[in-house]
Amino acid sequence: MDGMYILSKDHLRSFLRKINKANRLVAPIVNRHGDTLFSVIDDLDYAPYEFNQQSQNGIKSFFFPQQETIATYSSQDGDYSFTAPSDEPEPTVYFGVRSCDLMAIMHMDDVFMGEIKDQQYMAKRQQAILIGLNCNHPFENCFCNATKSGPFLGSGFDLQFTDQGDNYLVQVGREKGAALLKQWNQFFTPASEEQIQNQYQLSLEAMANFQLNVHADQAIQRLQNGQVPEEIWQSLSLRCQDCGGCAFICPTCTCFTIVDRKLSADHGIRLRNWDACTFSGFTRMAGGHNPVHHKTQSIKQRFMHKLCHDVKEHGSPSCVGCGRCVDICFGGVDIVRFIKMAGED
Amino acid sequence: MQTIATENYLPQSAIIHKIINENSQIKTFEIVFANQAVHDSLKYLPGQFMMVSVPHCGEAPISFSSSPTRTDAICLSVRKAGQLTSAMHDLKAGDNLGLRGPYGTPFDMVSLKDRDLLFVAGGIGLAPLRGVINYCLDHRNDYGQIFILYGSRLPSDIAFHEDIKLWQQESGITCLLTVDASEPGWDGSVGLVTKLLADINIDPSKSSGIVCGPPMMIGATLKELSNRGFADENLITTMERYMKCGVGICRHCHLDDKLVCTDGPVFTRAQLKTMDVAELR
Amino acid sequence: MTNSINEIEEAEVILATGSNTSEAHPQIARRMMTAVDKGAKLLVIDPRRTRLTELADVHLQIQPGSDIPLMNGMMRIILDESLADRMFIEMRTENFEALQEMLNKIDLAEVERITGVPLAEIRKAAILYARARRAVICYCLGITQHVAGTKNVQTIANLAMLTGNVEKEFTGVDPLRGQNNVQGACDMGALPNVYPGYQKVDDIACREKFSKAWCTELDPAPGLTLLDMTHSGANGPMKGMFIMGENPVLSDPLLDKVEETLSNLEFLAVADIFLTETAQFAHVVFPAASFAEKGGTFTNTERRVQMVRPAIAPIADCRTDSEIISEISTRMGYPMSYESSTEIMEEIALLTPIYGGIIHQRLGGDKWGLQWPCPDQNHPGTPFLHKHYFTRGKGHFIPGEHTPPVEPPCEDFPFFLNTGRVYHHYHTGTMTRKSEALNRESNQALLQVHPDDAKRLQIREGDILCVASRRGAIQIPAQITHAVAPGSVYTSFHFSETPVNRLTIDTQDPIAKCPEYKVCAVRIEKAP
Repeated sequence: MDGMYILSKDHLRSFLRKINKANRLVAPIVNRHGDTLFSVIDDLDYAPYEFNQQSQNGIKSFFFPQQETIATYSSQDGDYSFTAPSDEPEPTVYFGVRSCDLMAIMHMDDVFMGEIKDQQYMAKRQQAILIGLNCNHPFENCFCNATKSGPFLGSGFDLQFTDQGDNYLVQVGREKGAALLKQWNQFFTPASEEQIQNQYQLSLEAMANFQLNVHADQAIQRLQNGQVPEEIWQSLSLRCQDCGGCAFICPTCTCFTIVDRKLSADHGIRLRNWDACTFSGFTRMAGGHNPVHHKTQSIKQRFMHKLCHDVKEHGSPSCVGCGRCVDICFGGVDIVRFIKMAGED
Repeated sequence: MQTIATENYLPQSAIIHKIINENSQIKTFEIVFANQAVHDSLKYLPGQFMMVSVPHCGEAPISFSSSPTRTDAICLSVRKAGQLTSAMHDLKAGDNLGLRGPYGTPFDMVSLKDRDLLFVAGGIGLAPLRGVINYCLDHRNDYGQIFILYGSRLPSDIAFHEDIKLWQQESGITCLLTVDASEPGWDGSVGLVTKLLADINIDPSKSSGIVCGPPMMIGATLKELSNRGFADENLITTMERYMKCGVGICRHCHLDDKLVCTDGPVFTRAQLKTMDVAELR
Repeated sequence: MTNSINEIEEAEVILATGSNTSEAHPQIARRMMTAVDKGAKLLVIDPRRTRLTELADVHLQIQPGSDIPLMNGMMRIILDESLADRMFIEMRTENFEALQEMLNKIDLAEVERITGVPLAEIRKAAILYARARRAVICYCLGITQHVAGTKNVQTIANLAMLTGNVEKEFTGVDPLRGQNNVQGACDMGALPNVYPGYQKVDDIACREKFSKAWCTELDPAPGLTLLDMTHSGANGPMKGMFIMGENPVLSDPLLDKVEETLSNLEFLAVADIFLTETAQFAHVVFPAASFAEKGGTFTNTERRVQMVRPAIAPIADCRTDSEIISEISTRMGYPMSYESSTEIMEEIALLTPIYGGIIHQRLGGDKWGLQWPCPDQNHPGTPFLHKHYFTRGKGHFIPGEHTPPVEPPCEDFPFFLNTGRVYHHYHTGTMTRKSEALNRESNQALLQVHPDDAKRLQIREGDILCVASRRGAIQIPAQITHAVAPGSVYTSFHFSETPVNRLTIDTQDPIAKCPEYKVCAVRIEKAP
């Protein structure tokens, strides 16, 4: 099945209940403190999924957890051996994923399933079905229009939903989405020409609704031409307060570190943890030499990588315009500010 | 050059066969994989590195100091610098290590064929070059004259004595040493390693310069050789960075838009000049 | 703080003194940066160079311990320039004449000499501060951890009152408190001389109120100060101690004396989340629940009382602090049985006027807590203090004269030693040094030495130095940096491997009893 379909909102929960039988369900949920977070739905009857607020996290951590065991090791009696973790990832449907976060998954695929296939990531990714939700109303700090990663996306999803008032227009992306639609076809009716036209209209309206005006193209061009003066890196590095929040909240930041945790004299676990290129320990070598001058360059790699290197490597910036770092940075070193500074003469 | 398509980050068990004390800070570990089949299937070239695990200490990248032409054991020469390398220095023959690799882009031994080769090393920087030099010796007819210039901080810091002795006896090889500061009993050259360039007769047009050492030394030496007429394409170095994955994902070893682990560690000066690199600043 | 944290963003001038704000209070530094973005002038008084001094419009790099001469000099300039707020002084303050008399005797050339700061810079700072319509002073331990700590604070108050820079929104004097709940601990009477809400132990009415509520007789005499306890020595009055969440074996000066005291106690109990250096001296250790495992409130530096909820159940046998205290009390013959922290909060509201209207029900949901004073349940809380009147009535000028550090450098100990914190670690590292990530960023103390001194003493980066004061010696690697002035060295106290408080002096401010951690004299040489 491909093409466009309609799902009545009345039946969303029962559709989710069906797919929940064979899959874990992840969606943006309001927790008891009022925070909206992508979370696993334990009980669909009581799941307060929330589509009118931006989820504070993306879905990065479901594929690339903040901390994960990549091996257990033992060293005894002349043997030093490593064993891969045995847990198999569960099949999971991610529902209500916005364009920016879908785009972020495509970037993560480039990183973890490019020339080198990272087994940890790939195992989870292969078990994932992504159901997107186009953004009719961009949120306060959104600028995906500038990074060309939304608000409506043409690919990168298995199924894509568009809110049309009392129903969802459902668009089929990849094979897994088509299979899901076919399996539960009783929920879907073919969309009319008018309904398909309406989606186009909604996407135009969404484009007009951005509150920020961010000129990413201009900054990218100036970075590529080497026209961004050192003083910008310096003044922003001075203000970076070394918290790593931007990298942790960013749906495309994938740098990691690997550490051993000793559990006894002769065994332990090897962990992969999120890391951030803004930390001085990220590049400091044994013996203390650091090729990155922390005080003046700590944030340079972050913006160069996202806005310049990845454009060169993959054709698009790895900033997806979700605006989360704008909220989280308490030194005012967010990417929107940088783009503005870099774009100025 | 990647030999594997999927990465699970699992090291293989290996055994330290022999340890050579090169100086008070540097040891060379001769290592074989515990599993003979694994050992036999290892294919590497000079310039590549292994990710080395020591129990409870995590991993660190260490360049081969051996040539793949000598298959009985692989050599890793290690200066005591951080937690992992200090723990390595506490190991003894018969102890275990974890190894995964090889990783990284090696020296292009094919394009170096028929050229005269100038090796300039400082301190532990001789370790990766040792692999290249011995490779050339084992393919002696493929390469022209060989010059080795080796600088140390003090006479007591000079490492790789065994190798140096052999190289100095070999015909067609010039191997000169210098130290930054003298100590009693030293009657050799005193001064920076670039000073030794005055003592050799080399034609830059048919030679390649291969440089490794501390960051400042690399920058200064490449510049000096360039001034002496070496083309940037024929000036080659190998870079050192903090690394975690070794396969181009974790990004600790970023070098402007490149990664040392996969794009390097071997780079030409021509490549480095297109990037923002601390060593050349 | 007399202001709320957010008010800093709206200040026209910020004077930060004795505060490495971006490392110790990043959330405050953030507001300072925002203010600077909006055009505020940032004035920083600090003997060292920090991130904040880099952002500053004026950096007054004073000689350690010369805060009073500097601020007196600023005040003299303000008087000379007729920038004092005469109306404010008239209406709201008293004893101005005494201050004026003292200031008139000041020789500004002498100020320049003592502080080491060019007079033109002092003048620039004074005029910027005095002319501002909204000026905030933020100070921290660089002001208080001196033998002249109390006088330093009084002098700051003089400066603020002289210019009328108090009593208004976006304007005031803000001591920055460190630990998340140090303000709350003080509010709750974790001080020797007061009950909760700063109600004095030696005030009969207060004592009777608490006596009635707690159904027991209360001792009318104030308790001992921290150092009176930890420095009482082998033959001192201390027989038993119960230490909670504190690690004096690393954090107090004269560590030898602390160890002597603790090892000679008849009984020592320690409650902490890890087995700290101090806990290792204990006869009984209570594994305490961490912040993530308990509910209740924390009170932050802007007097804001905020709810904390348990994120996870206590691990293994850990108990919350209130459970530990209640159990011990019960077993010692005074039964305590609070069903929850909500009940404790209600008792606080009943007995503590400044917390009178603060109960858990008002703090939950989407509210961001309440700022005391909050006397009743209809009161909205108090974002800034001293509106219309000072707590004590009129603001009282207390002129302060220069009190030099107790132990200036001399021939044998030629360097000033200053101690402080690094961004990545918290206090004695009992928690932060358990983190792989934080340890990677910083895993050892370094002694900051100015390049000129390093050159003279032939010290290279990373050399192990022996640093000695009259009280002890430690070994520590060198960091060559312009962050310190020539003649000064600096390090942090987080690391048990380099216990810098073996070097620091235990002479205290006579009123606040805070030791002079910020200045002592040391000798440095390369370790053999």
